[in-house]
Amino acid sequence: MMDIFFSIALSGLTSGAMYALATLGLSLVWGSMGMLNMAHGAMLTLGGYAAFAVVMQMGLPGPLGFVAALGAGALVGALLYMLVVKPLLRAEVASFETAVLMATVGLATALENSILLTFGGQPLAQPVKSDGMLQIGQQGVPYQSMVVIGVALILMGITAYVLQHTRAGRAIRATTQNRDAAQLLGIPVGRVYLQVLMFSGALAGICGCLVSSITQLSPTLGADPMLKAFIMCVVAGLGNLPGAVLAAFALAFIEAIVQYVFGGRWGFPVLLGLVILVLVWRPTGLFGRAQIRRL
Amino acid sequence: MTSSIRHSSPLQIKLSATSNTDLRIAVGLAFILAVLPLMIDSRYLIGQVILAMFYAIIATQWNLLFGFAGIFSLAQMAVFALGGYATAMLCSYLSWPMALAIAAAALGTAFVSVLIGLACLRLAGVYVSLLTLAIAQAMHVLIVSDTECFTMVASQCRQFTGGAVGFARFGDLGMRDLLEEHWLWGNYAIVLCLFALCSGFTYFIIHSPMGLAFKALRDNPGYAIARGVNRFQSQLLVFGFSAFFTGLAGGVYAAHFQAIGPSILSWSQFNFIIAITVVGGTGNFWGPIVGTLILMAADELMREMGEFRTLGLGLIIAASVVWMPKGLLGRVQDLQQWWGRKHQSHNHLKSSSNH
Amino acid sequence: MLKPKPAAALVLDGVTAGYGGLTILRDISLRLLPGHMVTVVGPNGHGKSTLLKTISGMTQQSSGRIWIGEDEITSLPAHAIAGLGVAHIPQGDLLFPEMTVEENLLMGAYLTAEQAQIEQRFDEVYRLFPKLAGRRDQTASTLSGGERRMVGIGRGLMMGTQLLLIDEPSLGLAPLVIDQIYEAIGALKASGRSILLVEENPARVAELSDEMHLLDDGHIVWSGLPAELLKRDELLATYLGG
Repeated sequence: MMDIFFSIALSGLTSGAMYALATLGLSLVWGSMGMLNMAHGAMLTLGGYAAFAVVMQMGLPGPLGFVAALGAGALVGALLYMLVVKPLLRAEVASFETAVLMATVGLATALENSILLTFGGQPLAQPVKSDGMLQIGQQGVPYQSMVVIGVALILMGITAYVLQHTRAGRAIRATTQNRDAAQLLGIPVGRVYLQVLMFSGALAGICGCLVSSITQLSPTLGADPMLKAFIMCVVAGLGNLPGAVLAAFALAFIEAIVQYVFGGRWGFPVLLGLVILVLVWRPTGLFGRAQIRRL
Repeated sequence: MTSSIRHSSPLQIKLSATSNTDLRIAVGLAFILAVLPLMIDSRYLIGQVILAMFYAIIATQWNLLFGFAGIFSLAQMAVFALGGYATAMLCSYLSWPMALAIAAAALGTAFVSVLIGLACLRLAGVYVSLLTLAIAQAMHVLIVSDTECFTMVASQCRQFTGGAVGFARFGDLGMRDLLEEHWLWGNYAIVLCLFALCSGFTYFIIHSPMGLAFKALRDNPGYAIARGVNRFQSQLLVFGFSAFFTGLAGGVYAAHFQAIGPSILSWSQFNFIIAITVVGGTGNFWGPIVGTLILMAADELMREMGEFRTLGLGLIIAASVVWMPKGLLGRVQDLQQWWGRKHQSHNHLKSSSNH
Repeated sequence: MLKPKPAAALVLDGVTAGYGGLTILRDISLRLLPGHMVTVVGPNGHGKSTLLKTISGMTQQSSGRIWIGEDEITSLPAHAIAGLGVAHIPQGDLLFPEMTVEENLLMGAYLTAEQAQIEQRFDEVYRLFPKLAGRRDQTASTLSGGERRMVGIGRGLMMGTQLLLIDEPSLGLAPLVIDQIYEAIGALKASGRSILLVEENPARVAELSDEMHLLDDGHIVWSGLPAELLKRDELLATYLGG
């Protein structure tokens, strides 16, 4: 019994940490820009492969692979701003949300396919990982799980610190809460968006590196975490970062339990059912604030 | 403030100039499509045109949801698949005749969609997108990961949902019995009728009072709602009707190809529909049809590129959204408006000097 | 064609503006001298807010030119205009709902690097609005209407600019609170700042204003001394409902 509980707890914590990271980036972008970044999953995947490429193909040490994942994600974030977000904002399209959604879907496809063409479709092992286990009594905790949880917690801490205590972070929060007011105070909203996208991209890249170290590298690596991360954001409510992280862990645990009891394929549908129930009860998510539509 | 709600009768709108052009284009298109099989001998090309018509139907229905009613549903392929799978399963498991199966599948699809609509439509736009995407993905996952043997089919295991292999050889559109080796032309005729039916229905909805209500909701939601336009009811109706026709098309698709599998739910299939919609333009009746023409042509060309096809598709989508947010037809419309305004301003300057 | 005299705090010349193909402001020209207060009055929905938004860059004008002091700001984006020294205190406050009073005020000083200056401005704001001092850590969304107005004005003051654009400071407030707000605005004028104020009711601002413009249907239909406008019954009746 203890075994089962332990393995579910470990699985839940590890997945929770990864989902929380994925969710953090998404929620940040969604909250501050009102943008659904459908390419987030592809950025995750790219991060994982960047780490692989740097270590396996360039022969550089592991930590540099990690940095490469971060950098690749940030780079794509910047490109996303320059090539998609900035032009669409300037064009003042009728529905920015929809346009960005479609454009990022296209970008995700292109990115994913590029990875497929470059590295091939067969699953690869992520070299940036630690091997070995820590023995706690009867149970073994893989070092990599500890790394994943640790890194996720550190990054969450960094994000919270940046948002609360730095000038740039305050600017991001201001832009999120009232974009017009932020502009009137001299905050360059365009640059804030660029920063948010790069930051979220970096988080995605690192997340991809971590996820692929637990499972394996494949061109569709990021699709599943991204969708689940979206669901967690929705459950928590638009733009609520701490809520999204909480939801990530909670739903990860529920997923672990369901998968143990009913089998792997039922994890996602159950989460989906849960989300639908939550939204029927609270249409703006559990902690979401109702948006005031200015007509 | 543009006066998007005028106190004019629905009939007045039907007789407008644009409607006449639409009618002419529709008749022309119908003529071309009807005559095409007589001019082309290649079975491959006829098959491609049939496929194009299916895509056009899916895209047109999606445009109705998306571009007109403002329902950002990402489950379009799931609805299509539902129609196809229901048809296949009714034929395989209950041995229903094809026509009955297709009709029942269409109704069932509409019903399920209305349920989804009840759950989704009270939410803000993006939430609908995410939920419908998740539903579509869940459906895909459940089908593909189905490994339990439900029945045995000629000593081969078949899962309840067909699993990764899908359903095959459960019946057809009856044209083989009727026309023997010319069955493809028979199927073509059926699909053409379906296409005409679906397009006609869509056109009707767009130009009905409900369609105007949607336009009003899109242009000025506060005013529209104050004038008594019930958004939720209208959206639910469109959700249901468009799902019916999409499901119907799904059933005919399954019958025509005599097969249905989870690949119809794949991301790349959906990407194709997105590309059609984005390139052609949303919010315009002819957009999806124009888009289908362009994308099918582009696809033929990209066939040479082999592996780069998907990459190309993704880039087309992203580039179209950024450079032509309103699609090709939107660009053409912009040009028309710009031209019209140039001429108008000449007259305005003349008359304004009298103030 | 008006040429900007070096002394003017704000100059508008032939500005036409609107949104979505609709023209709201038509050929507006006005000048605000340093240390003066100019008020724009007129019926609702006729462009008063649009005027301020066009100056601060929230709306782009379709023609005309605008100067702040020596700098032309005609086609600059909003955040750049703010950086050139104008604080637009918008209608409806536009506070950051999840930030505290202190954080909201701090955001006003976003463009300021010097800590000493920021402290100084905090002092001024809390002196002007003692009520806020007691509510420093209260979240903005829980404030009363009057307190929100104070935070909005305070946040604008934290920008440390000479030029203030204030949009209907009395909107939605009880008469007693309006008195407090106008007392504060009087103090601001006395401090030598240049103020362009938009108000529906001219009587409130007559004493403080150096010049008044009546905006109707996007045009300035009358300009002059406030005392004059209050005497012109026919204007008051036609445009401001008596």
